[in-house]
Amino acid sequence: MIHVHEASKSFGRTRAVRNMSFELQPGLITGLLGPNGAGKTTTIRMIAGFLTPDEGRITVAGHDVQADSLSVRRQLGYLPESAPLYPEMTPRDYLDYRARLFNLGRTDRRQAVDRAIDRCRLADMAHKRIGVLSKGYRQRVGLASALLHDPPVLILDEPTNGLDPSQIRSTRDLIRELAQDRTVLLCTHIIPEVERTCARVLVIAAGRLVADDTPERLAGGNANRFEMVCQGPADPALRESIARYLPGIETRLADDERPGWVRVEASGDGVEGEAMHRAAADAGRGVRLLAPVRSSLEERVVRLIDSAETCVDAGSEAEKAAGGSA
Amino acid sequence: MRSIAAIAGRELGAMFRTPVGWIVTALYTLLTAVVFTMQEVRPGEPATLRSFFAPSAWLLIVVAPAVSMRLFSEEFRSGTVEPLLTAPVSRLGVMLGKYAGAAAFIVCMLIPTLAYPALLAWAADGPIDWGAVASGYVGLVLVALVYLAVGTLVSTTTDSQVLAFLVTLIVLLLVMIASGPGALRAPVRLAPILAEFSVPRRAANFARGVVETKDAVALLAASGWMLALAWVSLMLREGR
Repeated sequence: MIHVHEASKSFGRTRAVRNMSFELQPGLITGLLGPNGAGKTTTIRMIAGFLTPDEGRITVAGHDVQADSLSVRRQLGYLPESAPLYPEMTPRDYLDYRARLFNLGRTDRRQAVDRAIDRCRLADMAHKRIGVLSKGYRQRVGLASALLHDPPVLILDEPTNGLDPSQIRSTRDLIRELAQDRTVLLCTHIIPEVERTCARVLVIAAGRLVADDTPERLAGGNANRFEMVCQGPADPALRESIARYLPGIETRLADDERPGWVRVEASGDGVEGEAMHRAAADAGRGVRLLAPVRSSLEERVVRLIDSAETCVDAGSEAEKAAGGSA
Repeated sequence: MRSIAAIAGRELGAMFRTPVGWIVTALYTLLTAVVFTMQEVRPGEPATLRSFFAPSAWLLIVVAPAVSMRLFSEEFRSGTVEPLLTAPVSRLGVMLGKYAGAAAFIVCMLIPTLAYPALLAWAADGPIDWGAVASGYVGLVLVALVYLAVGTLVSTTTDSQVLAFLVTLIVLLLVMIASGPGALRAPVRLAPILAEFSVPRRAANFARGVVETKDAVALLAASGWMLALAWVSLMLREGR
């Protein structure tokens, strides 16, 4: 559905994106992950046709972004970063205006606007000026605008930016629902968001694609990890109790630094802190610590980004040295 | 076409949803009212608004940049240019829509001034020259189209509305000076060429009721050239 082939983009002497290549299929949410300034926004702006790649080729639903830009834009629902909107308009007026830009007729337009307002739960705010809405509501207006023409491809740049926890959850659910028959590219720097929403992750650092995999494989296993420190030795009674409460879950038991305590680590789908606590209690052990372990995806992504940035720094130094000696 | 109309409608709506549109309209109406009160009506002669149209065209030098300054500069500054330019509308369509919206605002702004010929017709003893009134308004609109096209071009080059306003105003004033007083002091060969660029001179012909095709074509062509340059500028300005 989206095909990016060796796309590069520079701004002056800064190379924002270098030889980027990837392909996205329908029915999948793909996360575009990377630190600020990594080239995420430049990449999606090139896909959306807002920027022209210096090199390479990008196609969306079979249409070339440069040669057939208008056809690409009809296939795309695009939410830019911070959802820029006209503050003097109301959400309903703004959505109606956007529907006109997509050439929808009067009846289709009304239905599309109503559907988008309903989907993004904007009915209460539909007639207030966008300028007085909270950041969360403005973000929802932007999202509604991206969904308006029912596009087969959705590109969302930080869609949960500024939303409260309940809104974040409902937005994630909406994105999952939309992805059932669409291609969704989710651009973010929030790793837990990718873990919870995306089936595939593209990690970008210093303008390069440094990883392309599922979140689980990228993390080197399952992302759910809990750690517990409980009293007593790592004896068979504790092992049996853990196996009973966490069936099929990979666990590791090791002596804690403090004598008389044991450290239990469990990772995998379905790991719950409560079950771990019950396992310890059932074995008659007191618990000193029970906590989720920092996402291993985060550790892996941070390592990838650090090594990519180090490579680029080394490359730049080498280029400077070569330029100096020349 | 529908999308161009949508953009034009939004531009026009935005002018009246914010104080700018109302302030500009009120000021223009007030200042032209002052000009109108100085209108001379000579007994026995047809009543005209000739001396009303010439200063009104001059006022447009300030009004048009105030209208055009926000066309693109505001979109660049607020980031709304991104959703706009990723909608299925060509950049030419976006530019024409915005320009049409600004032109529609100028027409709306001129509507209250229709009270002046109505008052003149009521107050004057003799008949009013409605032909001259109509051609005067056509001239005003054509002049506004040129000024707005210059303003549109400038607006595509900057994120700052204030800068867009000032640069447009300065460019228009420089052209006025070069084609007016400048042409009088210019070398004999250059003077007629400079004088051809005089927008007030062409507007004055319309105000007299003289509708010359060459004046209309010249003003429309000037607008067209400025819009063509604005389109090129918009094509070159990529996602900044």
